[in-house]
Amino acid sequence: MKRLGALALAAMTASAQVTFDRLLNAAKEPGQWMTYSGAYNGWRHSPLDQIRRENVSSLQVKWVYQMPTTHLVETTPLVVDGIMYFTEPPSNVVAVDAETGRQFWRYRRELPSKINVCCGQVNRGVAVLGDRVFVGTVDAHLVALDRRTGDVLWDVEVANYRHGYSVTVAPLIVKDMVISGIAGGEYGIRGFLDAYDAATGKRRWRFWTIPGPGEKGNETWSGESWKTGGGSTWVTGSYDPSQNAIVWGVGNPSPDWNGDSRLGDNLYSDSAIALDADTGKLKWHFQFVPHDVHDWDAVQVPVLVDDEFQGRRRKLVYWAHRNGFYYVLDRETGKFLAGKAFATQTWAKGLDPNGRPIRLPNIDPSPEGTYIFPGVQGATNWYSPSYSPVTKLFYLSTWENRSVYRKGEQEYTPGNRYIGSVPLIDLPDDPGWGAIRALNPKTGDRVWEYKLHTKPWSGVLSTAGNLVFGGSDEGHIFALDAATGKEMWRRNVGGIIRSNAISYMSKGKQVVAMAAGSSIFTFELAGR
Amino acid sequence: MRLLAPLAFAALLQAQEAKNPATSTADVAAGAKTFRSHCSECHGFEAQGGRGPNLASGVFYHGSSDAELLRNISDGIAGTEMPGLFYSPDRVWQVVSYLRSLNARAAPAGDPAKGAAIYGAKGCAKCHRIDGSGGRLGPDLSQIGRARSAEHIRQAIATPNADVRQRYWFVSATGPEGKPVSGFLMNEDTYTVQFMDLGEQLHSMNKSDLRGYQVEMKSRMPPFPMPAADLDNLTAYLVSLRPKGGSK
Ligand code: HEC
Ligand code: HEC
Repeated sequence: MKRLGALALAAMTASAQVTFDRLLNAAKEPGQWMTYSGAYNGWRHSPLDQIRRENVSSLQVKWVYQMPTTHLVETTPLVVDGIMYFTEPPSNVVAVDAETGRQFWRYRRELPSKINVCCGQVNRGVAVLGDRVFVGTVDAHLVALDRRTGDVLWDVEVANYRHGYSVTVAPLIVKDMVISGIAGGEYGIRGFLDAYDAATGKRRWRFWTIPGPGEKGNETWSGESWKTGGGSTWVTGSYDPSQNAIVWGVGNPSPDWNGDSRLGDNLYSDSAIALDADTGKLKWHFQFVPHDVHDWDAVQVPVLVDDEFQGRRRKLVYWAHRNGFYYVLDRETGKFLAGKAFATQTWAKGLDPNGRPIRLPNIDPSPEGTYIFPGVQGATNWYSPSYSPVTKLFYLSTWENRSVYRKGEQEYTPGNRYIGSVPLIDLPDDPGWGAIRALNPKTGDRVWEYKLHTKPWSGVLSTAGNLVFGGSDEGHIFALDAATGKEMWRRNVGGIIRSNAISYMSKGKQVVAMAAGSSIFTFELAGR
Repeated sequence: MRLLAPLAFAALLQAQEAKNPATSTADVAAGAKTFRSHCSECHGFEAQGGRGPNLASGVFYHGSSDAELLRNISDGIAGTEMPGLFYSPDRVWQVVSYLRSLNARAAPAGDPAKGAAIYGAKGCAKCHRIDGSGGRLGPDLSQIGRARSAEHIRQAIATPNADVRQRYWFVSATGPEGKPVSGFLMNEDTYTVQFMDLGEQLHSMNKSDLRGYQVEMKSRMPPFPMPAADLDNLTAYLVSLRPKGGSK
């Protein structure tokens, strides 16, 4: 503990700027939270252990920052050298003193009056490099701000928002580039992942998640359907320095619930992709759901772990997918190694040796409606999972719920919804329930579960204090014993939680921060 | 941007004068198709309402004239979840025609004045309030005509169990001392439950303190069998209960 405090302080005085080197070595600065998932490996794990199972019962509010917004707050804050940066929906950025919550500056994004985003004008956070803060906007721009003042340094158009493109994802810094995804899978976009020069905003490369004519994978789209094939990239991926590979999840094919116009596997929708960070060229892919007609995006944070697997040391990816199955992939090849359902699912008999789902009959949307587990929002979704190197467990928020999948009309017009149906997402008489679950990441076997009356839309954070922090739609933030799932602490903060927690050090004390309702809440142990 | 604002305003003025040019049967069918793919997600397959309001009643908060419907559907409603439909006006007019066709169908057959008398005679006010008078055990019906279709109201009276909202699910619990308590579910989370008992007392309890706990999705409203003409009149009365003034 003492040691950690000293380390954090050293970092603060030694370097006032975030360098790629610091991001690579995030584990050496546990007092900071410098990227969306805390480190490139996507673990959302804090090595801090001042707040522990034994003392967490005295956790209390440190400060609260209330945002003047009526939009849903999905932001993950970053904390660098004593300053916290977070987004305020739709596309504003705020910098505050991480010790007091008092504001330094606020960037307010002027937006056009008509914005078409499927599911609320949200944003999941910023990225920081050098003296800059980067944010994507719902009118599909990427903006670089001065870290000290919030002044705009550059502002580039990523895509045309009038055609249903928007940016809600927190960017990821790799080397001197800002990696940004795109949203719009309900508007018939053609998805991509982009890299921009952090200094100038000039685009370095673009990887189309839906291959065009002449490119490999285009044959998995009938006719012209690739042009409006979806394949959004709206959740921040991970980076593997050992292979210089960006690993990222790709969203649903468009239209979501009627696949008649897009026969074929529809690559690289619903896939994990690994790209060469310098060129944006595809190294490998793994498709979780070929020809998806249920809207089961692969929009989860890839969890990168090096460990023994079936007798030999391997580079792995752990992935709990929206479709209800948990997967282990080989990070060098994308090859499927193991998989198992982690929640109730009624659409597949299982996975074949290549990890392809063995579909059951009569599972597709139909005009009269088809009841399927998991529901449209999946058995998990965009909110982050966590991996703890202490317990070697994989943690996630899950849903036990079903939807009625209906098949309907579809017609593409730019900027309008292109979804091909009207599913009944939540059944009024059967609202379902949720849980925080711990899995053995090698097998997918469940180790424990913490049940919730409602379905949680917030991620989990594990810490070296042997705790797992999470939140619920009911407005509770809680800390669970990482080994057993037993509840150790809980506060009702009174607003639905749609975000991921982080942890950092401030003035020698460990802080846990999480957005709830329209506020950022921070907690620390009572006393000095 | 600056330049656009006066232009848009001019277009709006024009639209206010406008009459719907797309009212043929084919237009209504085309409007229904657009509605199913772009609107029913929120407003329901038959415009009966869901996440968005019922659009089949003929009365709209944000304006009931053709021009106002054209504007609200084209541009969306600022500050609400209602998104804009970036379609040309001729396509939006077809959607307006489709909504109008539903409104025509929605008009109930009965006589509201006779229905009001039946409401009094059957003792509905024991559980329901209208404009501030009546009981609290059932939903306030002062504006039921705005929120619900005639079909839904008819069904609610004849077969109350058919569709019971969560707020009226029924809690039966056994307290710490073995005392049974029951009432209408008002709220519930992982750890606690809030409900109102049949004596209109409010309770909030920790689930971990309870010995037994059960929630039933059955209605506490008894069915009221009655001749079809009476049911028509009663329905017509309830359909007539809408906010006064305000909307056009
Ligand atoms: C994302 C959900 C959503 C979609 C999609 C949607 N609406 Fe709405 N709509 C709403 C909500 C919510 C409101 C209520 C706004 C308020 O008053 O708060 C509304 C309001 C309206 C109103 C005004 C109602 C009144 O009482 O004045 C009309 C008319 C309407 N919608 C028509 C449509 C049509 C036609 C479409 C398809 C082209 C559509 N909506 C698509 C959610 C939606
Ligand atoms: C013993 C109490 C009780 C009496 C008497 C009663 N109701 Fe109800 N009513 C309820 C409750 C509780 C509900 C809500 C549960 C449900 O939907 O059935 C309800 C629901 C309704 C609804 C549906 C409201 C909505 O928003 O969907 C209507 C309409 C209604 N009642 C009309 C009547 C009429 C008309 C009478 C007299 C003929 C009547 N009720 C008598 C308790 C009562």
